[in-house]
Amino acid sequence: MTNFAQLFFDAASLGGLYAMAALGIALIFGVMNLVNFAHGEYIAFCVFALIVPSTDAVAVMLLGRAPALILVPLILALGAAIAIASEHAVFRHLRRADPVAMMISSFALGFVIRNALLAAYGGRPKAISLWPDLNTPVRIAGAEVPLLQLIVILTTLLVVAGLAALLKKTRLGLEMRAAAENFTMARLLGVKANVVITGAFALSGALAAAVALIMATQTGVADVRMGGQVMLVAFIATVIGGLGSLPGAVAAGFLIGAASVLLQAFLPLDARPFRDAFLYTLVIVCLLVRPQGLFVAASAKPRV
Amino acid sequence: MSKLGVFDISVRYGKVPAISDLTFHLEEGERVFISGPNGAGKSSFLNAICGKVPTSHGRIEMDGDLLTGRSPEAIARLGLSMVPEGREIFGSLTVEENLRVGTGIRQDAQAIETDIEEIFAAFPILGERRRAAAGALSGGQQQMLAIGRALMTNPKLMMVDEPSLGLAPKIVDQVYDTLAALQEERGLTLLIVEQSSLRAARVGGRMVLMRGGRIVGEGNAADMADRDALAQAYFGNSHPEPEAVA
Repeated sequence: MTNFAQLFFDAASLGGLYAMAALGIALIFGVMNLVNFAHGEYIAFCVFALIVPSTDAVAVMLLGRAPALILVPLILALGAAIAIASEHAVFRHLRRADPVAMMISSFALGFVIRNALLAAYGGRPKAISLWPDLNTPVRIAGAEVPLLQLIVILTTLLVVAGLAALLKKTRLGLEMRAAAENFTMARLLGVKANVVITGAFALSGALAAAVALIMATQTGVADVRMGGQVMLVAFIATVIGGLGSLPGAVAAGFLIGAASVLLQAFLPLDARPFRDAFLYTLVIVCLLVRPQGLFVAASAKPRV
Repeated sequence: MSKLGVFDISVRYGKVPAISDLTFHLEEGERVFISGPNGAGKSSFLNAICGKVPTSHGRIEMDGDLLTGRSPEAIARLGLSMVPEGREIFGSLTVEENLRVGTGIRQDAQAIETDIEEIFAAFPILGERRRAAAGALSGGQQQMLAIGRALMTNPKLMMVDEPSLGLAPKIVDQVYDTLAALQEERGLTLLIVEQSSLRAARVGGRMVLMRGGRIVGEGNAADMADRDALAQAYFGNSHPEPEAVA
Protein backbone atom coordinates (compact mmCIF):
# COMPACT_ATOMS: atom_id res chain seq x y z
CA MET A 1 0.00 0.00 0.00
CA THR A 2 1.46 3.25 -1.04
CA ASN A 3 0.35 6.39 0.57
CA PHE A 4 0.93 9.44 -1.58
CA ALA A 5 0.98 11.88 1.31
CA GLN A 6 3.66 9.71 2.89
CA LEU A 7 5.67 9.69 -0.30
CA PHE A 8 5.35 13.43 -0.59
CA PHE A 9 6.69 14.05 2.91
CA ASP A 10 9.52 11.54 2.43
CA ALA A 11 10.51 13.13 -0.85
CA ALA A 12 10.28 16.69 0.42
CA SER A 13 12.32 16.05 3.54
CA LEU A 14 15.04 14.06 1.78
CA GLY A 15 15.07 16.63 -1.02
CA GLY A 16 15.31 19.42 1.53
CA LEU A 17 18.36 17.82 3.08
CA TYR A 18 20.04 17.47 -0.33
CA ALA A 19 19.03 21.00 -1.27
CA MET A 20 20.69 22.47 1.81
CA ALA A 21 23.86 20.51 1.24
CA ALA A 22 23.87 21.49 -2.44
CA LEU A 23 23.44 25.16 -1.53
CA GLY A 24 26.50 24.91 0.67
CA ILE A 25 28.56 23.71 -2.26
CA ALA A 26 27.05 26.07 -4.84
CA LEU A 27 27.68 29.14 -2.67
CA ILE A 28 31.42 28.55 -2.58
CA PHE A 29 31.61 27.46 -6.18
CA GLY A 30 29.84 30.67 -7.15
CA VAL A 31 32.43 33.00 -5.66
CA MET A 32 35.65 31.09 -6.20
CA ASN A 33 35.09 28.26 -8.68
CA LEU A 34 35.94 25.76 -5.99
CA VAL A 35 34.07 22.48 -5.58
CA ASN A 36 34.71 22.00 -1.90
CA PHE A 37 34.86 18.26 -1.33
CA ALA A 38 35.60 18.84 2.35
CA HIS A 39 31.96 19.89 2.75
CA GLY A 40 30.95 16.37 3.77
CA GLU A 41 33.60 16.43 6.48
CA TYR A 42 32.23 19.72 7.80
CA ILE A 43 28.97 17.82 8.28
CA ALA A 44 30.68 14.95 10.10
CA PHE A 45 32.66 17.40 12.21
CA CYS A 46 29.48 19.10 13.38
CA VAL A 47 27.87 15.78 14.26
CA PHE A 48 30.87 14.70 16.32
CA ALA A 49 30.98 18.04 18.09
CA LEU A 50 27.80 16.88 19.81
CA ILE A 51 29.59 14.13 21.72
CA VAL A 52 32.57 13.77 24.04
CA PRO A 53 35.75 12.71 22.20
CA SER A 54 36.54 9.09 23.09
CA THR A 55 36.98 5.83 21.27
CA ASP A 56 34.32 4.07 23.39
CA ALA A 57 31.38 2.52 21.59
CA VAL A 58 28.88 4.42 23.71
CA ALA A 59 28.56 8.08 22.94
CA VAL A 60 28.37 10.59 25.76
CA MET A 61 26.76 13.87 24.82
CA LEU A 62 28.91 16.97 25.03
CA LEU A 63 27.39 19.95 23.23
CA GLY A 64 24.42 17.70 22.52
CA ARG A 65 23.35 18.13 26.13
CA ALA A 66 22.62 21.82 25.68
CA PRO A 67 19.00 22.87 25.15
CA ALA A 68 17.99 23.33 21.52
CA LEU A 69 17.82 27.11 21.78
CA ILE A 70 21.52 27.19 22.60
CA LEU A 71 22.59 24.09 20.71
CA VAL A 72 21.30 25.07 17.28
CA PRO A 73 23.02 28.47 17.06
CA LEU A 74 26.12 26.97 18.63
CA ILE A 75 26.44 24.20 16.05
CA LEU A 76 25.66 26.58 13.18
CA ALA A 77 28.41 28.88 14.44
CA LEU A 78 30.76 25.92 14.76
CA GLY A 79 30.06 24.90 11.16
CA ALA A 80 30.71 28.45 10.01
CA ALA A 81 33.89 28.52 12.09
CA ILE A 82 35.43 25.38 10.61
CA ALA A 83 34.58 26.54 7.09
CA ILE A 84 36.15 29.97 7.69
CA ALA A 85 39.17 28.35 9.33
CA SER A 86 39.71 26.05 6.35
CA GLU A 87 39.48 29.00 3.99
CA HIS A 88 42.15 30.81 6.00
CA ALA A 89 44.39 27.78 6.34
CA VAL A 90 44.07 26.32 2.85
CA PHE A 91 42.04 28.00 0.13
CA ARG A 92 43.24 31.57 0.74
CA HIS A 93 46.69 30.52 -0.42
CA LEU A 94 45.31 28.98 -3.58
CA ARG A 95 43.21 31.87 -4.91
CA ARG A 96 45.27 32.22 -8.03
CA ALA A 97 45.70 28.47 -8.41
CA ASP A 98 44.09 26.29 -11.02
CA PRO A 99 40.54 25.12 -10.10
CA VAL A 100 41.77 21.54 -10.29
CA ALA A 101 44.51 22.28 -7.75
CA MET A 102 41.92 23.84 -5.44
CA MET A 103 39.62 20.86 -5.80
CA ILE A 104 42.38 18.42 -4.99
CA SER A 105 43.36 20.40 -1.91
CA SER A 106 39.74 20.28 -0.79
CA PHE A 107 40.00 16.47 -0.96
CA ALA A 108 43.18 16.68 1.10
CA LEU A 109 41.53 18.94 3.64
CA GLY A 110 38.64 16.49 3.84
CA PHE A 111 41.06 13.66 4.62
CA VAL A 112 42.72 15.73 7.33
CA ILE A 113 39.42 16.50 9.05
CA ARG A 114 38.22 12.92 8.66
CA ASN A 115 41.39 11.42 10.11
CA ALA A 116 41.40 13.92 12.96
CA LEU A 117 37.89 12.72 13.78
CA LEU A 118 39.01 9.09 13.49
CA ALA A 119 41.88 9.74 15.89
CA ALA A 120 39.66 11.46 18.42
CA TYR A 121 36.56 9.30 18.21
CA GLY A 122 37.60 5.96 16.71
CA GLY A 123 36.28 4.39 13.54
CA ARG A 124 33.15 2.64 14.80
CA PRO A 125 29.81 4.34 14.26
CA LYS A 126 28.28 5.43 17.55
CA ALA A 127 24.68 5.54 18.59
CA ILE A 128 23.65 9.01 19.64
CA SER A 129 20.34 10.26 20.80
CA LEU A 130 19.64 13.84 19.83
CA TRP A 131 16.06 15.00 20.33
CA PRO A 132 14.60 11.46 20.11
CA ASP A 133 11.09 12.88 20.62
CA LEU A 134 11.23 14.35 17.14
CA ASN A 135 11.01 10.88 15.62
CA THR A 136 7.56 10.24 17.05
CA PRO A 137 5.08 10.17 14.18
CA VAL A 138 2.27 12.64 13.68
CA ARG A 139 -0.76 11.91 11.54
CA ILE A 140 -1.22 14.32 8.64
CA ALA A 141 -3.51 13.73 5.66
CA GLY A 142 -3.60 10.01 6.36
CA ALA A 143 0.18 9.70 6.57
CA GLU A 144 2.35 8.83 9.53
CA VAL A 145 4.99 11.54 9.42
CA PRO A 146 7.76 11.88 11.97
CA LEU A 147 7.73 15.36 13.42
CA LEU A 148 11.34 15.71 12.28
CA GLN A 149 10.33 15.41 8.62
CA LEU A 150 8.02 18.35 9.00
CA ILE A 151 10.75 20.30 10.74
CA VAL A 152 13.20 19.46 7.96
CA ILE A 153 10.79 20.62 5.27
CA LEU A 154 10.02 23.80 7.19
CA THR A 155 13.70 24.45 7.91
CA THR A 156 14.61 24.03 4.26
CA LEU A 157 11.97 26.50 3.20
CA LEU A 158 13.13 28.95 5.86
CA VAL A 159 16.79 28.53 4.89
CA VAL A 160 16.07 29.01 1.20
CA ALA A 161 13.84 32.02 1.85
CA GLY A 162 16.36 33.48 4.30
CA LEU A 163 19.25 32.98 1.90
CA ALA A 164 17.27 34.50 -0.96
CA ALA A 165 16.46 37.51 1.23
CA LEU A 166 20.08 37.83 2.28
CA LEU A 167 21.28 37.72 -1.32
CA LYS A 168 18.60 40.09 -2.57
CA LYS A 169 18.34 42.61 0.22
CA THR A 170 21.71 42.99 1.90
CA ARG A 171 24.93 44.65 0.91
CA LEU A 172 26.87 41.39 1.38
CA GLY A 173 24.31 39.58 -0.77
CA LEU A 174 24.67 42.10 -3.58
CA GLU A 175 28.45 41.83 -3.43
CA MET A 176 28.28 38.04 -3.41
CA ARG A 177 26.04 37.95 -6.46
CA ALA A 178 28.23 40.44 -8.30
CA ALA A 179 31.37 38.51 -7.34
CA ALA A 180 29.78 35.22 -8.40
CA GLU A 181 29.20 36.62 -11.85
CA ASN A 182 32.48 38.47 -12.36
CA PHE A 183 34.87 38.50 -9.44
CA THR A 184 37.51 40.74 -10.98
CA MET A 185 35.00 43.38 -12.02
CA ALA A 186 33.48 43.38 -8.54
CA ARG A 187 36.93 43.96 -7.05
CA LEU A 188 37.58 46.80 -9.49
CA LEU A 189 34.48 48.42 -7.99
CA GLY A 190 35.92 48.15 -4.49
CA VAL A 191 34.24 44.91 -3.39
CA LYS A 192 36.60 43.25 -0.92
CA ALA A 193 37.43 39.74 -2.05
CA ASN A 194 38.14 38.55 1.49
CA VAL A 195 34.79 39.73 2.84
CA VAL A 196 32.82 38.05 0.07
CA ILE A 197 34.73 34.78 0.25
CA THR A 198 34.64 34.63 4.04
CA GLY A 199 30.91 35.32 3.90
CA ALA A 200 30.36 32.51 1.42
CA PHE A 201 32.36 30.05 3.53
CA ALA A 202 30.52 31.05 6.71
CA LEU A 203 27.13 30.51 5.09
CA SER A 204 28.28 27.25 3.55
CA GLY A 205 29.58 25.98 6.90
CA ALA A 206 26.36 26.93 8.67
CA LEU A 207 24.41 25.00 6.03
CA ALA A 208 26.65 21.98 6.63
CA ALA A 209 25.87 22.29 10.34
CA ALA A 210 22.13 22.38 9.69
CA VAL A 211 22.45 19.20 7.61
CA ALA A 212 24.50 17.64 10.43
CA LEU A 213 21.83 18.34 13.05
CA ILE A 214 19.12 16.87 10.87
CA MET A 215 21.11 13.75 10.01
CA ALA A 216 22.13 13.16 13.61
CA THR A 217 18.52 13.32 14.75
CA GLN A 218 17.21 11.26 11.85
CA THR A 219 19.72 8.42 11.88
CA GLY A 220 20.72 8.43 15.54
CA VAL A 221 24.26 7.60 14.47
CA ALA A 222 27.54 9.46 14.46
CA ASP A 223 29.74 8.06 11.70
CA VAL A 224 32.86 9.60 10.21
CA ARG A 225 31.65 8.61 6.75
CA MET A 226 28.17 10.10 7.09
CA GLY A 227 28.97 13.36 5.32
CA GLY A 228 30.50 11.69 2.28
CA GLN A 229 27.33 10.24 0.79
CA VAL A 230 25.37 13.47 1.23
CA MET A 231 28.26 15.43 -0.22
CA LEU A 232 28.24 13.22 -3.31
CA VAL A 233 24.53 13.67 -3.91
CA ALA A 234 24.77 17.38 -3.18
CA PHE A 235 27.62 17.76 -5.65
CA ILE A 236 25.58 15.98 -8.29
CA ALA A 237 22.68 18.30 -7.50
CA THR A 238 24.84 21.36 -8.06
CA VAL A 239 26.03 19.97 -11.40
CA ILE A 240 22.54 19.07 -12.57
CA GLY A 241 21.23 22.42 -11.39
CA GLY A 242 23.98 24.25 -13.24
CA LEU A 243 27.21 24.89 -11.35
CA GLY A 244 27.10 28.20 -9.54
CA SER A 245 23.33 28.59 -9.81
CA LEU A 246 21.80 28.73 -6.34
CA PRO A 247 18.15 28.28 -7.38
CA GLY A 248 19.36 25.45 -9.62
CA ALA A 249 21.09 23.74 -6.70
CA VAL A 250 17.95 23.89 -4.56
CA ALA A 251 15.67 22.65 -7.33
CA ALA A 252 18.02 19.83 -8.28
CA GLY A 253 18.41 18.84 -4.61
CA PHE A 254 14.67 18.42 -4.31
CA LEU A 255 14.54 16.65 -7.65
CA ILE A 256 17.11 14.04 -6.62
CA GLY A 257 15.43 13.55 -3.27
CA ALA A 258 12.09 13.02 -4.96
CA ALA A 259 13.51 10.68 -7.60
CA SER A 260 15.23 8.64 -4.94
CA VAL A 261 12.05 8.24 -2.86
CA LEU A 262 9.91 7.48 -5.89
CA LEU A 263 12.33 4.85 -7.19
CA GLN A 264 12.37 3.25 -3.76
CA ALA A 265 8.57 3.09 -3.76
CA PHE A 266 7.84 2.01 -7.30
CA LEU A 267 10.75 -0.14 -8.43
CA PRO A 268 10.01 -3.87 -8.47
CA LEU A 269 11.16 -5.46 -5.21
CA ASP A 270 14.05 -7.31 -6.86
CA ALA A 271 15.42 -4.08 -8.33
CA ARG A 272 15.25 -1.98 -5.18
CA PRO A 273 18.72 -2.85 -3.93
CA PHE A 274 19.97 -1.25 -7.13
CA ARG A 275 18.00 1.95 -6.63
CA ASP A 276 21.10 4.13 -6.78
CA ALA A 277 22.07 2.62 -10.13
CA PHE A 278 18.73 3.75 -11.52
CA LEU A 279 19.09 7.13 -9.85
CA TYR A 280 22.49 7.78 -11.36
CA THR A 281 21.25 6.58 -14.74
CA LEU A 282 18.71 9.40 -14.55
CA VAL A 283 21.55 11.75 -13.62
CA ILE A 284 23.49 10.69 -16.71
CA VAL A 285 20.43 11.22 -18.89
CA CYS A 286 20.01 14.71 -17.41
CA LEU A 287 23.61 15.56 -18.18
CA LEU A 288 23.37 14.20 -21.71
CA VAL A 289 20.28 16.25 -22.44
CA ARG A 290 21.35 19.46 -20.69
CA PRO A 291 25.08 19.41 -19.97
CA GLN A 292 24.98 23.07 -18.89
CA GLY A 293 22.50 22.24 -16.12
CA LEU A 294 18.73 22.02 -15.96
CA PHE A 295 18.10 25.45 -14.52
CA VAL A 296 20.59 27.73 -16.24
CA ALA A 297 18.93 30.47 -18.25
CA ALA A 298 19.87 30.33 -21.92
CA SER A 299 20.02 34.14 -22.01
CA ALA A 300 22.87 34.38 -19.52
CA LYS A 301 25.39 35.24 -22.23
CA PRO A 302 26.88 38.73 -22.36
CA ARG A 303 26.16 40.97 -25.31
CA VAL A 304 28.80 42.60 -27.41
CA MET B 1 52.53 66.42 -8.17
CA SER B 2 50.64 64.88 -11.03
CA LYS B 3 47.37 63.02 -10.61
CA LEU B 4 48.80 59.79 -11.90
CA GLY B 5 52.46 58.98 -12.15
CA VAL B 6 53.67 55.87 -13.94
CA PHE B 7 57.39 55.33 -13.53
CA ASP B 8 59.27 52.92 -15.75
CA ILE B 9 56.80 50.01 -15.51
CA SER B 10 56.97 46.68 -17.28
CA VAL B 11 54.23 44.08 -17.59
CA ARG B 12 54.80 40.59 -18.88
CA TYR B 13 52.55 37.59 -19.39
CA GLY B 14 54.85 34.67 -18.74
CA LYS B 15 57.85 35.50 -20.92
CA VAL B 16 55.92 37.70 -23.32
CA PRO B 17 56.43 41.39 -22.56
CA ALA B 18 53.25 43.45 -22.92
CA ILE B 19 54.65 46.75 -21.62
CA SER B 20 58.31 47.70 -21.43
CA ASP B 21 59.79 50.54 -19.35
CA LEU B 22 56.82 52.82 -19.76
CA THR B 23 56.73 56.23 -18.05
CA PHE B 24 53.67 58.43 -18.15
CA HIS B 25 52.08 61.34 -16.27
CA LEU B 26 48.51 62.51 -16.05
CA GLU B 27 47.54 65.91 -14.62
CA GLU B 28 44.47 66.70 -12.55
CA GLY B 29 41.38 67.26 -14.71
CA GLU B 30 43.17 66.21 -17.89
CA ARG B 31 41.71 64.07 -20.67
CA VAL B 32 44.18 61.73 -22.31
CA PHE B 33 43.59 59.28 -25.13
CA ILE B 34 45.75 56.24 -25.56
CA SER B 35 45.80 55.13 -29.15
CA GLY B 36 47.69 52.52 -31.09
CA PRO B 37 47.28 49.28 -32.99
CA ASN B 38 46.01 46.01 -31.55
CA GLY B 39 48.54 44.39 -29.25
CA ALA B 40 50.23 47.71 -28.47
CA GLY B 41 49.68 47.15 -24.75
CA LYS B 42 46.92 49.73 -24.26
CA SER B 43 44.63 47.49 -22.21
CA SER B 44 47.57 45.99 -20.33
CA PHE B 45 48.55 49.53 -19.40
CA LEU B 46 45.12 50.28 -17.89
CA ASN B 47 44.98 46.85 -16.25
CA ALA B 48 48.36 47.45 -14.60
CA ILE B 49 47.17 50.80 -13.21
CA CYS B 50 43.96 49.39 -11.71
CA GLY B 51 45.73 46.38 -10.21
CA LYS B 52 44.22 43.74 -12.47
CA VAL B 53 47.60 42.57 -13.70
CA PRO B 54 50.85 42.83 -11.70
CA THR B 55 53.80 44.87 -12.90
CA SER B 56 57.17 43.17 -13.05
CA HIS B 57 59.07 46.42 -12.69
CA GLY B 58 58.56 50.08 -11.82
CA ARG B 59 55.95 51.87 -9.75
CA ILE B 60 52.61 53.62 -10.17
CA GLU B 61 51.36 56.47 -7.96
CA MET B 62 48.07 58.29 -7.70
CA ASP B 63 47.97 61.53 -5.68
CA GLY B 64 51.25 60.41 -4.14
CA ASP B 65 49.81 57.07 -2.96
CA LEU B 66 51.65 54.03 -4.22
CA LEU B 67 49.31 51.81 -6.27
CA THR B 68 51.85 49.15 -7.16
CA GLY B 69 51.32 45.97 -5.16
CA ARG B 70 47.85 46.96 -3.95
CA SER B 71 44.78 44.82 -4.62
CA PRO B 72 42.21 46.05 -7.17
CA GLU B 73 39.70 46.76 -4.39
CA ALA B 74 42.23 48.81 -2.45
CA ILE B 75 43.04 50.84 -5.56
CA ALA B 76 39.33 51.40 -6.22
CA ARG B 77 39.00 52.68 -2.66
CA LEU B 78 41.68 55.29 -3.36
CA GLY B 79 39.44 56.82 -6.02
CA LEU B 80 40.24 55.06 -9.27
CA SER B 81 37.41 53.62 -11.31
CA MET B 82 37.45 51.53 -14.43
CA VAL B 83 35.09 51.03 -17.37
CA PRO B 84 36.59 47.87 -18.83
CA GLU B 85 36.78 46.72 -22.39
CA GLY B 86 33.60 44.86 -23.29
CA ARG B 87 31.71 46.65 -20.47
CA GLU B 88 31.64 43.61 -18.16
CA ILE B 89 28.35 44.61 -16.60
CA PHE B 90 26.72 42.11 -14.22
CA GLY B 91 24.09 40.64 -16.53
CA SER B 92 22.12 38.76 -13.89
CA LEU B 93 21.83 41.82 -11.63
CA THR B 94 19.28 44.54 -12.24
CA VAL B 95 20.35 47.87 -13.72
CA GLU B 96 20.06 49.56 -10.34
CA GLU B 97 21.96 46.77 -8.57
CA ASN B 98 24.79 47.20 -11.06
CA LEU B 99 25.02 50.83 -10.02
CA ARG B 100 25.05 49.89 -6.34
CA VAL B 101 27.87 47.33 -6.45
CA GLY B 102 30.49 50.07 -6.34
CA THR B 103 28.89 52.11 -3.56
CA GLY B 104 30.22 49.90 -0.78
CA ILE B 105 33.31 52.08 -0.54
CA ARG B 106 31.29 55.22 0.17
CA GLN B 107 30.01 56.46 3.53
CA ASP B 108 27.60 59.13 2.25
CA ALA B 109 24.35 57.11 2.05
CA GLN B 110 22.24 60.13 1.10
CA ALA B 111 24.52 61.22 -1.71
CA ILE B 112 24.43 57.69 -3.13
CA GLU B 113 20.69 57.94 -3.63
CA THR B 114 20.88 61.35 -5.31
CA ASP B 115 23.76 60.12 -7.50
CA ILE B 116 21.68 57.18 -8.68
CA GLU B 117 18.81 59.48 -9.57
CA GLU B 118 21.27 61.76 -11.35
CA ILE B 119 22.52 58.88 -13.47
CA PHE B 120 18.95 57.92 -14.32
CA ALA B 121 18.31 61.53 -15.26
CA ALA B 122 21.36 61.54 -17.51
CA PHE B 123 20.46 58.16 -19.06
CA PRO B 124 16.63 58.00 -18.99
CA ILE B 125 16.59 54.56 -20.62
CA LEU B 126 18.48 53.15 -17.63
CA GLY B 127 15.95 54.72 -15.27
CA GLU B 128 13.09 53.16 -17.19
CA ARG B 129 14.68 49.75 -16.89
CA ARG B 130 16.15 50.08 -13.42
CA ARG B 131 14.59 46.83 -12.22
CA ALA B 132 15.27 44.88 -15.41
CA ALA B 133 18.18 42.46 -15.72
CA ALA B 134 21.17 44.38 -17.06
CA GLY B 135 21.98 41.52 -19.43
CA ALA B 136 18.91 42.40 -21.49
CA LEU B 137 20.18 45.91 -22.33
CA SER B 138 21.54 46.76 -25.76
CA GLY B 139 25.27 47.28 -26.24
CA GLY B 140 25.01 51.05 -26.11
CA GLN B 141 22.86 50.95 -22.99
CA GLN B 142 25.32 48.57 -21.37
CA GLN B 143 28.13 51.01 -22.13
CA MET B 144 26.15 53.80 -20.44
CA LEU B 145 25.51 51.51 -17.49
CA ALA B 146 29.19 50.62 -17.23
CA ILE B 147 30.05 54.33 -17.16
CA GLY B 148 27.32 55.02 -14.60
CA ARG B 149 28.52 52.11 -12.49
CA ALA B 150 32.09 53.42 -12.53
CA LEU B 151 30.85 56.90 -11.54
CA MET B 152 28.98 55.50 -8.53
CA THR B 153 32.28 54.82 -6.75
CA ASN B 154 32.78 58.60 -6.80
CA PRO B 155 36.15 58.37 -8.56
CA LYS B 156 38.81 61.03 -8.93
CA LEU B 157 40.32 59.27 -11.90
CA MET B 158 38.27 57.24 -14.36
CA MET B 159 39.73 54.94 -16.99
CA VAL B 160 37.67 53.89 -19.99
CA ASP B 161 38.85 51.02 -22.20
CA GLU B 162 37.63 51.22 -25.81
CA PRO B 163 34.19 52.70 -25.22
CA SER B 164 33.47 52.65 -28.94
CA LEU B 165 34.01 48.91 -29.34
CA GLY B 166 31.05 47.28 -31.07
CA LEU B 167 28.89 50.42 -30.98
CA ALA B 168 27.26 52.30 -33.84
CA PRO B 169 28.99 55.65 -34.61
CA LYS B 170 25.96 57.61 -33.44
CA ILE B 171 25.99 55.82 -30.08
CA VAL B 172 29.73 56.43 -29.80
CA ASP B 173 29.06 60.17 -30.25
CA GLN B 174 26.60 59.96 -27.37
CA VAL B 175 29.07 58.11 -25.16
CA TYR B 176 31.76 60.75 -25.73
CA ASP B 177 29.35 63.64 -25.25
CA THR B 178 28.38 62.10 -21.93
CA LEU B 179 31.98 61.58 -20.86
CA ALA B 180 32.90 65.16 -21.76
CA ALA B 181 29.88 66.56 -19.91
CA LEU B 182 30.63 64.45 -16.85
CA GLN B 183 34.21 65.62 -16.82
CA GLU B 184 33.09 69.24 -16.99
CA GLU B 185 30.63 68.75 -14.12
CA ARG B 186 32.73 66.71 -11.76
CA GLY B 187 36.26 67.74 -12.52
CA LEU B 188 37.07 64.13 -13.37
CA THR B 189 40.42 63.10 -14.74
CA LEU B 190 39.93 60.79 -17.72
CA LEU B 191 42.20 58.21 -19.30
CA ILE B 192 40.62 56.66 -22.38
CA VAL B 193 41.79 53.94 -24.72
CA GLU B 194 40.58 54.79 -28.21
CA GLN B 195 41.85 53.19 -31.40
CA SER B 196 40.55 55.88 -33.69
CA SER B 197 42.75 58.97 -33.65
CA LEU B 198 40.08 60.84 -35.63
CA ARG B 199 37.56 60.17 -32.91
CA ALA B 200 40.02 61.35 -30.28
CA ALA B 201 40.70 64.51 -32.28
CA ARG B 202 37.01 65.28 -32.50
CA VAL B 203 36.55 64.96 -28.73
CA GLY B 204 39.79 66.77 -27.97
CA GLY B 205 42.55 66.28 -25.43
CA ARG B 206 46.06 64.94 -25.26
CA MET B 207 46.88 61.82 -27.21
CA VAL B 208 49.48 59.20 -26.47
CA LEU B 209 50.42 56.75 -29.18
CA MET B 210 51.50 53.27 -28.09
CA ARG B 211 53.15 50.54 -30.07
CA GLY B 212 54.94 47.37 -28.97
CA GLY B 213 54.39 48.09 -25.28
CA ARG B 214 55.98 51.55 -25.42
CA ILE B 215 54.88 55.13 -25.91
CA VAL B 216 56.04 56.16 -29.39
CA GLY B 217 54.36 59.53 -29.77
CA GLU B 218 52.54 62.17 -27.84
CA GLY B 219 50.75 65.44 -28.53
CA ASN B 220 47.52 67.30 -28.99
CA ALA B 221 44.92 64.86 -30.34
CA ALA B 222 43.91 67.16 -33.18
CA ASP B 223 47.53 67.60 -34.38
CA MET B 224 48.23 63.90 -34.07
CA ALA B 225 45.16 63.03 -36.14
CA ASP B 226 46.20 65.61 -38.79
CA ARG B 227 49.60 64.06 -38.98
CA ASP B 228 47.94 60.67 -39.27
CA ALA B 229 45.73 61.87 -42.08
CA LEU B 230 48.67 63.47 -43.85
CA ALA B 231 50.81 60.38 -43.53
CA GLN B 232 47.98 58.29 -44.75
CA ALA B 233 47.46 60.55 -47.73
CA TYR B 234 51.12 60.34 -48.74
CA PHE B 235 52.16 56.87 -47.70
CA GLY B 236 48.92 54.93 -47.71
CA ASN B 237 49.20 53.99 -44.07
CA SER B 238 50.90 55.75 -41.18
CA HIS B 239 51.42 52.54 -39.16
CA PRO B 240 52.76 49.20 -40.26
CA GLU B 241 49.71 47.46 -38.73
CA PRO B 242 46.63 47.50 -40.93
CA GLU B 243 44.10 48.29 -38.19
CA ALA B 244 46.08 51.19 -36.76
CA VAL B 245 43.81 53.95 -38.00
CA ALA B 246 40.14 53.27 -37.95
